[in-house]
Amino acid sequence: MKFAAIVGTNADFSYNRILLQYMKKHFKQLADIDVLEINQLPAFDQDLPYEEQSMAVWQFKQAVKNADGVIFSCPEYDHAIPAALISAIEWLFYNPKNILEQKPTMVVGVSYGTQATSRAQEQVRQILASPDCNAAVQAGHEVLVGKAAQSFNKDGNITDQAAVANLEESFTSFVKLTDALSKQTEEDNLMTLKQPFVNDAYINFPTGRLSFKEAQQIFSTIPFEIDLIDRNDRFAWFSDKPNREHVRHVNEINETVDECHPPKALPAVKAIINSFKDGSRDMVERPLIMHGHRTLIQYYALRDVDGSYLGTIEFTGSVEHIISLFENGAFADVTTGASKHGDDAATSETSADATSAASEETGAPVDDAADGAAKAKADADDTDATTSASKED
Amino acid sequence: MKITAIVGSNSKHSANRKLLQFMSRHFDDQDITVADIDQVPMFNENYPGGDPQPVIDLAQQIEQSNAVIISCAEHAHTVASSLKSVLEWLSYNLHPFANKPVMIVSVSSFPQGGSRAQMTLRQILNSPGVNAIAWQGDEFLLGNGDTAFNDHGDVKDEGTVKFLDKCFAEFITFAERNNAK
Ligand SMILES: Cc1cc2nc3c(=O)[nH]c(=O)nc-3n(C[C@H](O)[C@H](O)[C@H](O)COP(=O)(O)O)c2cc1C
Ligand SMILES: Cc1cc2nc3c(=O)[nH]c(=O)nc-3n(C[C@H](O)[C@H](O)[C@H](O)COP(=O)(O)O)c2cc1C
Repeated sequence: MKFAAIVGTNADFSYNRILLQYMKKHFKQLADIDVLEINQLPAFDQDLPYEEQSMAVWQFKQAVKNADGVIFSCPEYDHAIPAALISAIEWLFYNPKNILEQKPTMVVGVSYGTQATSRAQEQVRQILASPDCNAAVQAGHEVLVGKAAQSFNKDGNITDQAAVANLEESFTSFVKLTDALSKQTEEDNLMTLKQPFVNDAYINFPTGRLSFKEAQQIFSTIPFEIDLIDRNDRFAWFSDKPNREHVRHVNEINETVDECHPPKALPAVKAIINSFKDGSRDMVERPLIMHGHRTLIQYYALRDVDGSYLGTIEFTGSVEHIISLFENGAFADVTTGASKHGDDAATSETSADATSAASEETGAPVDDAADGAAKAKADADDTDATTSASKED
Repeated sequence: MKITAIVGSNSKHSANRKLLQFMSRHFDDQDITVADIDQVPMFNENYPGGDPQPVIDLAQQIEQSNAVIISCAEHAHTVASSLKSVLEWLSYNLHPFANKPVMIVSVSSFPQGGSRAQMTLRQILNSPGVNAIAWQGDEFLLGNGDTAFNDHGDVKDEGTVKFLDKCFAEFITFAERNNAK
């Protein structure tokens, strides 16, 4: 089970951060707790259009959305919740949609004095229970750690055994609550299973048959990852493999294109999809550096045998291995043979726009100007991907 | 009486700003200055260079006033983060609210008019760090804010304006008494 634990302050030093780090350590057998900071978030601004929301806000929302439950550790400022935490919560529920909806949430807190955030915590619960948030707030348990300076030792462990026992009881109960709530939706969530649902059925292709199990495991084995946006512009499927370049989560399945992309990348993504729909292009590619290695992302129009649009697939993989094979002369002897088969590929069309986008890791794939240039170029000659990739530096 | 009226929202088209602007026109026998908070950065204990200038300016303005009005927006049943940030700044190094009479009003787009934000704000004003004297008389809560004002920004409903007159008069008496001390 995966929890997002939000440090409810932007302060450099925070006892509430220490509490969450302690929980992460102490409960590592029980759950996977990811400690999230809020000090990188801009102040909430209701007038900011969604498209202009920053990457930091998007990443924060994604992390919360993809967690099974959320823990808020809330300091008390002036008998109330700190502004920085209110602001973070405002981002979470406001635009474009409330991602705290029915999220299991737990509230904990540490204060310097004896009151131990008793007043601020009540407010967090009140906020989480408001129609704006409508979270599933844990009730009946309180984790109130007072006298912070004495409550933790220098290793960040809680010294008071009664406080540890209370925390254990509260967290165990929260895990149960989260589990119960997630079971309710398990039927919609078959995606979370590791195995396909029908183990021994076969798909008969014109070229042979595959069991469902084989189909799944082929996708998990090939050294590339595939994501599918269906014809209704929904994120429909991704190939499940370890160490993906793009980390995807089953909670994102069925999201619209708008929902599953950072706002700043959206216009470019839509431009690609629209060009696939109207038939003006079949493929767009962008070489770039991801996680420190050279990676090639290719978008293909997925078409039915009659050519009608079925969706867009994103095909991503590290090309380091291929490049090193090439550099070590692997293809030297077989060049002529390879080219015989190679001349039918649709690789050249979009090579120029790939170049222009190559520098950016997280942002938009291609911009419209580059698209135009790419097409003009494609009409003129058949540049190959190698040429365009070298132009980027 | 010199009064600083703080807009408890950083929104461009704040209904709470409208209410305060209306009050400053309507109660022209008092010297009411409307103060916006959208220039105040998010409170941070480790803010580089100490208190930012907009905070210092606002603190000074409050310091030199006899009373304060805060009109608070309600977000998720509490005060907007932008207002809470201002109150944190003004309870940290500077404490201009200390013993200052404060009137709480609010506008919201729902019929309740910001009742829960008012409760939270009162609690915050009463905390030792802020230490204001929040006036405890009638509650002025303006609901359905989207339709409550006419094109000139005046509160439309006559009964509502009458009630505001009554609240404000009581508050002025209260503030005068506190300033005389
Ligand atoms: C602006 C401000 C207001 C505070 N108000 C309160 C308060 O109302 N009640 C309280 O118990 N502690 C209050 N404190 C002290 C905090 O409990 C203390 O700073 C604590 O360490 C905050 O949690 P953190 O270590 O996670 O940042 C306040 C601190 C600041 C900076
Ligand atoms: C993020 C957000 C949350 C809101 N939550 C509430 C709420 O809990 N209760 C309420 O009465 N109005 C709520 N509203 C509507 C406000 O009452 C409305 O936006 C009002 O105009 C706020 O005052 P302002 O215009 O001065 O910012 C919310 C608005 C926003 C932007």
